[in-house]
Amino acid sequence: MSIEVGTCARCSCEIEQGDLRCAICGLATPATTVTADTLRVSVLRCQGCGAAVSYDAAHRAPACAFCGSVMENEELVDPPEQCELHLPFTVTRKQASAALKQWLGSRGFFRPSDLAHGARLEKLQPISWVGWVFAARGLATWAADSNQGSHRSAWAPHSGEANLEFRSLLVSASRGLKGEEVDELAPSYALSSADSKPIEELDGLAVSIESFDVQRSAARRRISSALEAAARNEIADHYVPGSRVRNVHVSVLLSHLDTERMSFPAWVLAYRYKQKLYRVVISGQDANTITGAAPLAWSRIIGVAVLVAVVLLAIILAIVANA
Amino acid sequence: MTTTTLEIRCKDCGATLTLPKERFAAICPYCASPSVVDRPVDASGGRSERPDFILGFHVPKQVAVERVRAWLQRSRLFAPSAIRQAEVTDTQGIYLPAWIYSAVARTGYQATIGENYTEVETYTTTDAKGRTVTRTRTVTRTEHRHLSGEHAMYISDLVVTASRGLPNDELETIEPFDLGALRRYTTDVVSGWAAEEATLDRETGHSTARDEAMNVVGRRLARFMPGDSAHVDHFETAFSDENIDLVMLPIWVFAARYPHGGEQRTLRILINGQTGEIQGDLPRSIPKIIAGVVLGLLIIAIVVFAGMGLFGLGLISFGGGLA
Repeated sequence: MSIEVGTCARCSCEIEQGDLRCAICGLATPATTVTADTLRVSVLRCQGCGAAVSYDAAHRAPACAFCGSVMENEELVDPPEQCELHLPFTVTRKQASAALKQWLGSRGFFRPSDLAHGARLEKLQPISWVGWVFAARGLATWAADSNQGSHRSAWAPHSGEANLEFRSLLVSASRGLKGEEVDELAPSYALSSADSKPIEELDGLAVSIESFDVQRSAARRRISSALEAAARNEIADHYVPGSRVRNVHVSVLLSHLDTERMSFPAWVLAYRYKQKLYRVVISGQDANTITGAAPLAWSRIIGVAVLVAVVLLAIILAIVANA
Repeated sequence: MTTTTLEIRCKDCGATLTLPKERFAAICPYCASPSVVDRPVDASGGRSERPDFILGFHVPKQVAVERVRAWLQRSRLFAPSAIRQAEVTDTQGIYLPAWIYSAVARTGYQATIGENYTEVETYTTTDAKGRTVTRTRTVTRTEHRHLSGEHAMYISDLVVTASRGLPNDELETIEPFDLGALRRYTTDVVSGWAAEEATLDRETGHSTARDEAMNVVGRRLARFMPGDSAHVDHFETAFSDENIDLVMLPIWVFAARYPHGGEQRTLRILINGQTGEIQGDLPRSIPKIIAGVVLGLLIIAIVVFAGMGLFGLGLISFGGGLA
């Protein structure tokens, strides 16, 4: 299912079904206009009772004053976002729980030593979380301060322009996953494996598929701000000369924006260790990509802290004694 | 403005209606039937432009009337009495034409950027005992650097008037309109309302829009500059890929005439038919204002004299209690 209907004549960004103007540069999309060739007086009639109908502000559509029926007006288009492409699971249920065991066993010295054995798996749920993947180009003009070329002040102003290209930028629309979790998972996905059919069941478990809980206009605002942030980072990291920068201002003429609405597979696991629940998320395409919480072994942490304090104290005493 | 009128025949009762040439929608006074005239573009006596877009009314008449009443009450004190007796139900909803402008704006600029630095300076002063001493202090100084560069942005959603009857600065007072609710123009939305076609041509709209676009660029540029302080010395903007569309805006208008020093003056209140934003030129009666000021001064004078009188009689005294 694709709702893309063409590209903007000015900036080549994609135009979707129902768009009257380009969301990026504001250019009107071509209309199939019906123009009158003779003077015509028309009266809008109610399809129910035939009475003459006026546009009604309360209904925001023409409404009949006699029989109360509201005429179907051209729909204002701000549809909820729909997922178009789905990435398949390549990590099985078995692999996911094995990955968790291994992950728990390799959490390091400051975790309880019996974590891998003491943790009890409470829940194992395959989910498909959703997000936008987009590509775009842009002419970025920028101005910033950096230490390069500075005189008496630590800062000197610089300006420039650059042609930027963004490929496969991912913006999460997930409500269930936290931002850090998404950042961890993102690199593990092979976007080329996407399919138009959603995965509804896996290893006997029903996959819970998240839906986009936003409308198109809100989605576009989020994508725009993600692009602005990406452009700003790109400029600050690669284009402003010098090693320290501040006041990085970027203005981008976006073009060729193309957005894909995708779902991403993941395993959400919950384990219990000493009465407390912890959550772990494993990428559905790479069992080694794991993010989540694990308990800390406070006895070990305090032990080390005391040890360090004792050593420091000994050193200080030694110095004082020498002096 | 032309005084030519247009005669149309009501489709419901056959009555002949006369309306000003630039109006293209009307309600028959005999049978209340709404008529919309669709005239050929560019034919002799025809209209010059067919609207591309329309914003429907969201604010119903009762709400508009209430707003006008509240507005008049607020400004009651200094308003001529004729205004207070005006019939607020005369508030009329009309679709007024405006141009929406969009373009690519590329700007070359020259600016002076201030970069701050601190310096420790020594100075001589006299201490508490009157001896001359040398001390140091830290001062912040500004180093001025030259910066020239390019700035590129899309200008979109810029709305300027296309009606001779509605000056652009007056339209600005009730902006913004939510252009997200834009629909492709259809006569359905105009049905039952008054509507006026463009009386200012594309070229006029274009030059007004460019002036406004220049201000937008100037404001954006000021925020674009780096440094601790900045001043844009000169900038030159080239607009390309310009586009201009005709949109019908929903506006409630309340107009009343009142005598003022032997001549008739008009008070006009505009309400944004989409957001309810209200604006009008507060008419003030000069005699009433003078009377108000005199009354205010009188009250102050009485208070002051009364205070002095009490002080003089020793009823209020300052510092006398210690004696």
